Amino acid sequence: MFNWDNKNVIKSLLLIGLFGFSQAGLTKDTGYYGYGKSATQEEIAAWDIDVRPDGKGLPVGSGSVSYGEELYEAKCALCHGAFGEGEGRWPKLAGGFDTLTDAKPEKTVGSYWPYASTLWDYIHRAMPFTAPQSLSVDETYALTAYVLYLNDIIDDEDFVLSKDNFTEIEMPNKDGFFVDPRPDVKNPACMENCKDPATIKVTSAIKGITPLQHIAKEEGANDKASSDSEDQQPKSADQVAVDNELKVGSAIYSQSCSICHGSGIAGAPKFGDKMAWAPRIKQGVEQLNKHAIEGYSGKTGIMPAKGGNPSLTDAEVSAAILYMIENSQ
Amino acid sequence: MKKLTTSTRGLLSEIKDEAAEMPVSERRNFLLKGLQLTAGSAFAMGAAKVMAETPARSNVPAWTKKLGRGVVSVPYGQPSKYEDDVIRRTVSWLTASTESSISMTPIHEMKGIITPSGLVFERYHAGLPDVNPDEHRLIIHGMVDNPITLTMDDLMRYPSESVIHFLECPANGGMEWHGTQMEALQFTHGMLSCCEWTGVKLSTILDEVGISADAKWVLAEGADGATMTRSIPIEKALDDTMIVYAQNGEKLRPEQGYPVRLFNPGWEGNTSIKWLRRLEIGDKPWYQREETSKYTDLMPDGKARKFSFIQETNSVITSPCPERPMLRKGVHELEGIAWSGRGTVKRVDVSLDGGVTWRQAKLKGLVLPKAITRFSLEINWQGEPLLLQSRSIDDSGYVQPTLTQLRDIRGSNSIYHKNSIHTWKLDTDGTVSNVQLG
Repeated sequence: MFNWDNKNVIKSLLLIGLFGFSQAGLTKDTGYYGYGKSATQEEIAAWDIDVRPDGKGLPVGSGSVSYGEELYEAKCALCHGAFGEGEGRWPKLAGGFDTLTDAKPEKTVGSYWPYASTLWDYIHRAMPFTAPQSLSVDETYALTAYVLYLNDIIDDEDFVLSKDNFTEIEMPNKDGFFVDPRPDVKNPACMENCKDPATIKVTSAIKGITPLQHIAKEEGANDKASSDSEDQQPKSADQVAVDNELKVGSAIYSQSCSICHGSGIAGAPKFGDKMAWAPRIKQGVEQLNKHAIEGYSGKTGIMPAKGGNPSLTDAEVSAAILYMIENSQ
Repeated sequence: MKKLTTSTRGLLSEIKDEAAEMPVSERRNFLLKGLQLTAGSAFAMGAAKVMAETPARSNVPAWTKKLGRGVVSVPYGQPSKYEDDVIRRTVSWLTASTESSISMTPIHEMKGIITPSGLVFERYHAGLPDVNPDEHRLIIHGMVDNPITLTMDDLMRYPSESVIHFLECPANGGMEWHGTQMEALQFTHGMLSCCEWTGVKLSTILDEVGISADAKWVLAEGADGATMTRSIPIEKALDDTMIVYAQNGEKLRPEQGYPVRLFNPGWEGNTSIKWLRRLEIGDKPWYQREETSKYTDLMPDGKARKFSFIQETNSVITSPCPERPMLRKGVHELEGIAWSGRGTVKRVDVSLDGGVTWRQAKLKGLVLPKAITRFSLEINWQGEPLLLQSRSIDDSGYVQPTLTQLRDIRGSNSIYHKNSIHTWKLDTDGTVSNVQLG
């Protein structure tokens, strides 16, 4: 082990000794420009989170399938489904074996991903979606083990995945990839009589799913100017405070809540759905805040504590609730 | 007194002025009626209608008769409020959430080759982070002699370069492998933009840190919630890859990676990691999620292509298109854009008959490597139905293929890199729709 800082200092001292205060000598040693500062081992370690298929980058730690199941149900099942089947358009994690040549292939961790290291790396860096980099090393081993278990790649529910046995995991589709060989087509760029016009078949498969409102809409641009300049009455201090809280709430909502409350998955009352919100609003804001901050399991679904994002403050959660209520009653 | 011009062109422009006051649906009918009138025997009737309904030229508009706004009434300038339709749009059913989605550039409204910064398409893998440039750091480490940490100030001290290049998502057009489903140009080809990018060449910085002789790959990592990563081969990194902090003359927009992003000219957009925080030099690729699970191209035999970086040459006609139907008969400048990740667009051919015969279009304006290039061809349209296509050829000799040629090799499940010749069907009433030819 050597410390880059020390190495450079020593080299610099040597150069000074040899050449006096030669600028050329100094800058050459740390690069021609010499901008920035040497990165310390600590700085690098804090950010260097990548893991390679050969195991390089895996930290010391371990986690069991059963602990993974517990974590998965609390933090992952909401989007990825209880068995990795994927809720709505959220990624399906398990199954899909032998479908890669089908008309509708199912590319899951088990059927498609070539390396288990990618799974560990991605869970650790980017999951859960609303609270990335919140999982510990051991939790990541456990969740990786459980997702592999859901895919029958690990079949022992007592299995403990660790740094030591990690590279023994072999993924079913490890040989399923090859380096891009393009260019792969050769169009001769014919200029005349390139085909028989009678053979041209014009197809137009699906219609009606493109968001085209802007093309059909009436042009109301002229009305806009007047409405923008109106509504300029002075606001009370209370109103300003509420407005500010709503602003915070809006930001928190789109960052942390919209995943479930925007689409209504996992029984979440959908943003703007008055019917779904009415009975909840009736319970009172205090009760809603409590459920959202502490977590709640009800008849229609689960509300994880702070939406699964522990980095939110209580005030931020409350602001988001206020924002949702304002727009759903 | 209003002076009646006798040329058809003038008459049509007056019809158009009048139509501008109408709702779009009525306007279309009215314009097409005017078109038929001028083209047919009822020319005089059409002219009479125009005379009766067009406001007199002496009617001076309100903005001419009052004092306008002063300087810095809008300290950061915005487009005219009448241009509020020129915006990015998304397709809500495409992804699970807006934080993991994409929006498209309104390329039917674009002029020249530069996409305004606020209209460059967006692609997020974990939403748009709000990065403070004073706290942001870029670390370069791994198989190097001298790992360094750079602040934004440090980064901007290096000699800067500016380049004009397109940026394209490899999924551009990918929704149509199985058949058409997007009924407008913004959605068929809008995952594409072209900007001037300013920054420092990555090779300059790699030279600074001194890379090992065994270095083969560079891992680029973002500071977003996905800490989005891609492995970049060292050959590209030492060739034209840049670390950019400015776009179209100002700092990068947050959507484009403020304060700093990687930029790989001609390569699929996701390799140009935004909010760049770390570059690690290594001897093997890392096989990250976005180069295994995603951004790999599944072939019909069940095997998938990896590291499919290049955006091969592509082109599309932008006028007419579904958003810009043919409003009048007569001479029309058919216009479009072509681009190639391998180099410079050398030639674009246009077909009006679905690919039976082709004519060479004119390249116009700036023709730059790995940049959007404009082409144009004047046609005299007399209301006949047409099947419009364009075909780009780049300086590597590669010719844009047909969809049939692509499908013959790649099937329909590879999602990415669909650069096939696109077909617009122009109907007798001037409407344009998205079709495929079998």
